[in-house]
Order: sequence, then C-alpha cells, then structure tokens
Amino acid sequence: MTMKLKERSAGSASANSRRSPPDAVGRRGLSQTQVALALVAPALLLYAVVLLYPLVASLWVGLFDRSLVRPGSEFVGLQNVQDVLSEDFVGLLSRTLVFASGATVLPFLVAFGLALLLNQGIRGQGALRGILLFPWILPGVVVSFLWLWIFNPNNGVLNGALRELGLIEENLNVFTSPWQSMLLVIVAKSWQTFPWVMVMMLAGLQAVPRDLLEAVSADGGGTLRRFWHVTLPSLRGIIFTVLLLELLWNFQHFEMIWVLTRGGPAGATTTFSVELYETAFQSFDLGRAGAVGILWMAVLSIPVWLFTKYGDRRVG
Amino acid sequence: MSTSVDVHPETTAPSAPRRPRRRPMRRVALWATLAVVVFIALFPVYWMLATSITPREQVFEFPPSFIPTSITFEHYGTFFETPALLKYMVNSILVSGVTAVGAVIVSSYAAYSLSKFEYRGRKSVMYMIWSSQMFPTALLLIALYLMFDRFGLLDTYVALVLSFMTFTLPLCTFVMKGYFDTIPTEVIEAARIDGAPERVITTKVLLPIAIPGMVAAGLFAFIRGWNDFIFALTLVGEDRRTLPPGLVVEYLGEFQADWPELMASSLITTIPVVIAFMALQKYFVEGLTVGSVKG
Repeated sequence: MTMKLKERSAGSASANSRRSPPDAVGRRGLSQTQVALALVAPALLLYAVVLLYPLVASLWVGLFDRSLVRPGSEFVGLQNVQDVLSEDFVGLLSRTLVFASGATVLPFLVAFGLALLLNQGIRGQGALRGILLFPWILPGVVVSFLWLWIFNPNNGVLNGALRELGLIEENLNVFTSPWQSMLLVIVAKSWQTFPWVMVMMLAGLQAVPRDLLEAVSADGGGTLRRFWHVTLPSLRGIIFTVLLLELLWNFQHFEMIWVLTRGGPAGATTTFSVELYETAFQSFDLGRAGAVGILWMAVLSIPVWLFTKYGDRRVG
Repeated sequence: MSTSVDVHPETTAPSAPRRPRRRPMRRVALWATLAVVVFIALFPVYWMLATSITPREQVFEFPPSFIPTSITFEHYGTFFETPALLKYMVNSILVSGVTAVGAVIVSSYAAYSLSKFEYRGRKSVMYMIWSSQMFPTALLLIALYLMFDRFGLLDTYVALVLSFMTFTLPLCTFVMKGYFDTIPTEVIEAARIDGAPERVITTKVLLPIAIPGMVAAGLFAFIRGWNDFIFALTLVGEDRRTLPPGLVVEYLGEFQADWPELMASSLITTIPVVIAFMALQKYFVEGLTVGSVKG
C-alpha cells in the first residue's frame, strides 16, 4: 500500500483564485452572484434543516418541562439548568474533561513520536503508514468490541498475558473499577485516533523548511536544537489545529464509551454526551437533557472562542 | 496553514539533514522502537482475526493461546446464516449508499460556489459549515427525534439518511472545495470568454474534471455513514437497523457474548470500509488534511 500525498498545486491555485481581482467575476454583475447563491442554496437549506434548526430547537427544549413519553410541555425557564447544576455538575464536567484531554494528549504524544520516527527517511515509510492507518478506519463499535474482548475479565488475552508473566495473581476486571474504566475508554479511543494524528503530523513534518534545519546543523546544532528551534516552531499551526479538533471531537464522543462501559461503573465514565443521551432516551426527560446541552454549549464556547481568535486564518 | 504540500517520500529527503555517516546503532534503535510500537498498535487487529478463526472451545480456554492451533471458518458462516444480521447489512449498504450520493450532489454544487465565486457572505458560509464540527451529535438528536416523530419519519430510511447528512454534508463540502481549489480558474474563465452559459460550464466543463473528487468525497461519506452508531441506534427499530447498532444489540446482551462470532461479524462489518479505503488511497491522506485542516 503506497500512500503518498498527491502532488498538488492546491496552495498556489487556491491562492490565485482568491487573489484574482473581484471584477473578474463582478464584471458580469449580479448574475454571477446569483449563480453562486443558487449553487450554494440547496446545501444551506439542508444545513438549516439537519443542523441549525436541531441545534437551536434542542437547546430550546431545555427551557421546558418536557418528556419523550407523555404529551405536553410547560415552560420552566432555567429550572432544568439549575437542577443539572445542583446535581454533581462538577463531577460530570471533570469526567468529560478527563476523557477529552486524555484521549487528545495520549494519541498526540504517541503519534507525534511515531511521525518523527517515520520521518527519519526509513525504507517502507509509505507502507508502514498505510498499515498503521488501519485502526483509524475501523468502525467505532468494532474498536469497542475489540477492547472489550481484550480486557475481558474471564477469558481476555490481557489477563492471560499478565498471569503468564506472573504480574497478577487474580484476573483484573477493569469494568468494576472507576479509574480503570476511564483509562480503558481513553486507551481505546486513543488507539483509534492516533493514526489520524500521525498522518497530520507527518504532513506537517514534511513541510518543515530543510534549509533552516541545515543552517542549524551548520552552526553545530544537534538533533535536539534542530527540533526545538526549527521543527517545533514550524509545526505550531498544525499542532494547534490537531489538538483543538481532537478536543472538540472527544468532548462529544459517544459510541465507544457507550459500548465499552455504558458510562459506568456507577457513572465513572459518564461524560456530557452519555449523560445527555441517557437522560433523553432512557429516562425520557427531554427538558433536562436539553439543559445538559445548554451547559455543554456554554462550556464548549471557550475552545470555540480560542479557535476563532487564533485559528481563523485556517478557515476558507 | 496548508498541509497539502508536495510530499514524495522517495524523492524528498527526510527533513532531518542528510547525515554523511550513518550511525548503525541509531538505525538499530530506530527500527527496534518502530517494531515495538507497530506491534502494540496492530496487536488488537491480529487478535480480532485470530479469535474469529479459532474454534469456540479453544477461545474460552484460559490462559488463551496466542496462536490458534486449529482453524475454523464456521463463525463467518454463522453471520451469513443469521437473517437479522443480513438484514442489518442490507440496511447499512442502502442507507450509507444513498447518503453518500445525496451528500456528494448537494455539496459539490455548494463547494463549486464556495471555491470559484466571489461574493459577500462566502466566508460566513464557510464558517457556518465548519462550525458544525462542534455541534454535539447527542444534542442534535433531541430535536431530530422530535422532528422525525412529528412528520411520521421515525423508523424510516429517510430519517437515517437525513440524520447522516449532519456529518456528511460538511465533510463532503470541504473535500469538494479542496478539490475545486486545485482546478485552475482559467479553465472556467476560458469557457466564459467563449460565451458559454453557466449551466453549460457546470455540466460540460467542470463536471468531468470534478468526478474523481466526487468519487473520493462519496467514499468518505459512505465510510462515515457505515460507521455511524448513535443515529441508527435511536431513530429506527429492528427493521431499519444498520450493522453497528445491530451487532451491539445482537451480541452484547445480558449473557457472555459469543466472542469468536462477534469478532468474525466485526471483520465482515469492516470489509466494505477497507475496500472503500483502498479505493481512496490516492485521496485519502490528502482528503484527511484538506477536509479538516484547510477546512
């Protein structure tokens, strides 16, 4: 499997199209703009129906006393939000943060290390990268099954290996230990994510200006100096983007936690998404679930603000 | 920040400066580290494969043997003899396929507009579509559920296809925009100067060039739809269920799961994704970076 970044003139082509004087299009007046708007309209309509309306409407539900199984709803204002805040909201928030940051930092470190290794110009780099991408393309539920089976308390291969090595006497059951369960979901999620981060970092590494690296070498700088003064600074943008995207995705991750632990034991792996899902579709309390959503979006607006402040030149 | 750089591992030297003298110890250490990491990274996949071809009575031996001593394919056979699983598979193919085609058509028009026209609000549209990355899926599900309920669409394929659009529409739009950005504007301008109407430019000039990009975007959308869990778990019942929630319902009940069968079924579930992935090879890395970074 050879996978190369296809050589693209993307950078220059897109830059050209953006830099081209507006009159190249504007000369033809309104009709051009109308064409452009007509082309984008179906997507905007679909966007409004499946994304914008559901987002606003779901948050709106949070202001009502509303159930999934009985009709009627009553406006209660911020009562639901207060209820959620009064019941161990700090715990919910910190579990979400632990999962999101753990599942972001762990694969990042592994993937960055791997990318640096693969970037040493070893033979078969492309093939290795292809093979290593495999965990990333597996469906999330399949990844969950895999780790459930590996950590199985009765017949799991992990218990088998640890006992063979004499490291444990009794089989481990991570599913009954709060912190081990959290570790499990983080490890499983990280295992699925690291290939994506690796590919991103490799792409970034290959864009590091070589003449700068050589200049540092010529000045007698060693590997560490090159890394610290050239590689790391030129990767700043991509590191920021990768970490932020990962954080956003992990913040709302649902399926692997759900399949691996159902948020247990005793809520130890219940993050925002699991809490919201359970409240809405198992306790049928839509109002309260919407309130969880309101708080969730409030918390999320911090990284979003960060992104618009520091990341905007990467959009468009 | 564009990551879509010219990368040819063969022709481009590694970004570490060429060292005239190779240090053998360094090489050995490098390879040893790589070998260990690759082993850890791929062991779970190996274990899935090994379990799926191990006879049942051996699977539940403890401690497990790391290499199956005898091999069977009966667990794969069971998948194809279970009507419920086959039904889930058909549903998965249908829903992911329709989603992919729909998403590509709608997003290609949008991407063309966003890539090749200048107008006020263009940037805002990009921002808006990008920002959907942070809309929590579980939260959207509340209103989507109520909406589908009101229109009698719960437990239909339509509900699944529409809900899959929440992630395929932004994804395809960015993949397609990245693709259109690589097509020189001159191609279109030449046609305009020749006096071709916009409709002809779109269908006769642009469409043929855009097809590879559309195939790539469609495969991406198919993979994402195929892997969805939360929507198919919630919005539809038994008859419209897709494979991921189907496997969970079928195997993770109250009793000890039938692990060799589940591993075989998991591998079967993965096969279409792997095929799509291979077909994508050329675009894959690029799409990954285009879709998320440049987006």
